[in-house]
Amino acid sequence: MKTLKDFEEFYNTSLAADLEVLEQKRRQLVRKLLIIGAALLCAVIVVIFLVGRSQSETRVLFLFPIVAAVALVAAAALAVASKNYVAEFKSFVIGKIVRFVDEDLIYEPNSCVRQSTFVLSKIFTTEPNRYKGDDLVHGKVGATRIMFSEVNAERVTGSGRNRHRYTIFRGLFFVGDFNKNFAGQTIVIPDTAELLFGRIGQTLQSLNVFRGQLVKLEDPEFEKDFVVYGSDQIEARYILSTSLMQRMVEFRKKAQRDVYFSFVGSMVFVAISYKRGLFEPRIFRTALDFEPIREHFEDLQLAVGIVDDLNLNTRIWSKE
Amino acid sequence: MLTAAIIIVVVALLIFVFIYNGLIAKKNRVKSVFSTVDVLLKKRYDLLPQLVATVKAYMQHERGVLAEITEMRAKAVSQKLSNDEQVELDGKVTRMLGGILVAAENYPDLKANQNFLQLQRAMNEIEEQISAARRAYNAAVTDYNNAVEMFPTNLAARLMRYRIKKFFEISPQQREAVDAGKLLQS
Repeated sequence: MKTLKDFEEFYNTSLAADLEVLEQKRRQLVRKLLIIGAALLCAVIVVIFLVGRSQSETRVLFLFPIVAAVALVAAAALAVASKNYVAEFKSFVIGKIVRFVDEDLIYEPNSCVRQSTFVLSKIFTTEPNRYKGDDLVHGKVGATRIMFSEVNAERVTGSGRNRHRYTIFRGLFFVGDFNKNFAGQTIVIPDTAELLFGRIGQTLQSLNVFRGQLVKLEDPEFEKDFVVYGSDQIEARYILSTSLMQRMVEFRKKAQRDVYFSFVGSMVFVAISYKRGLFEPRIFRTALDFEPIREHFEDLQLAVGIVDDLNLNTRIWSKE
Repeated sequence: MLTAAIIIVVVALLIFVFIYNGLIAKKNRVKSVFSTVDVLLKKRYDLLPQLVATVKAYMQHERGVLAEITEMRAKAVSQKLSNDEQVELDGKVTRMLGGILVAAENYPDLKANQNFLQLQRAMNEIEEQISAARRAYNAAVTDYNNAVEMFPTNLAARLMRYRIKKFFEISPQQREAVDAGKLLQS
């Protein structure tokens, strides 16, 4: 496990040079953006001016599509330029940080965990119809194969005026090989009802038929934080040993956000909710700041650390 | 007036049916989980002869413990034991097994033996499953006991003559840390 100190050293020796180069490119990009922005503003002013002055309606009609076309071309150029910068940032900076965290991990900036895998976890009961993500990392940490990426899953319903966009999940989605064999499904989600309603909350939770049986466990801290649904009471307890429950509570404290777990098909799924985007460069602020880079490192470390935090490399049972 | 009375009686009856069925469901749950515990215990007893055979050649000092394990297994498999006796025997066997697996650490030859390693994994798994089953049993019993003791379900429970059940507890002597030294000397 690499510490923050190790990372600081790494930053000073390896990353700083790349960041200087990137900073130059970023400045160029910002300059381009400002120029195009200014040009667009001028075009809009000209249009307004001409509209104010002209009597003929047809002349105005000509102007609008031209301005629109110019705006579109400008936007496209901006998008391409930004994309290039982002791609370079990811490949040089994020890629290096990933390899620093663990040499055997592979980073694919434009891929993400597949939607079918996301749905397989059964953590969220709503099926997404808008699904995207990026920054896929995969490989083997010790004896455990892992894969994680940023995921943004939404459900859009209705059309026109009634269009409603509901965010199912946004954040880091992790899939790993679990260290025990099992056949059914066990889902562990943050416990909001118990917090609010106590015992009545528990009754309400047990009535939630879509999720399977409610499993009440013995660890009081764990029960306060999470609610468990499973296909089998004994299997749920086989998976959620007393030590794993403590580890999950600790992990949630460490992540300081909503964390969802599920155990399906001898794999463990962990979904960590984030409000901000992950592993994206800041375009309008300097690239030479240590803070955002440290944040990227800590986000990666949190995900890769799941293997140790949940003790997935302890393989003393029948699964190797 | 009459309709109001009828409605009250019907509602009371419905509530009673609900409570009655609930109690029966909880009692049956306890039974069904115990039978799963039973199945897992048998699975473990089946593994014991293999363990004893693999380990006997290497662990000369633990012969006494191994003989005891074989004896306990014979008892568990042949006789019809009550639930409480099962629980007690399970506790004893768990303790002995723990001792053997701890003692095995002192035998590098044994630890290198492929058979033993596989057995060890299988034993770990079955122990973990039994532990899970015990916990599930205790949860089912807690649920049942809650219903038998809390108001208003305790009224129905008294009518049905349901009593509280015991947990799968580890008796105080078994809770003593497994003294490997003592075990090795026996």
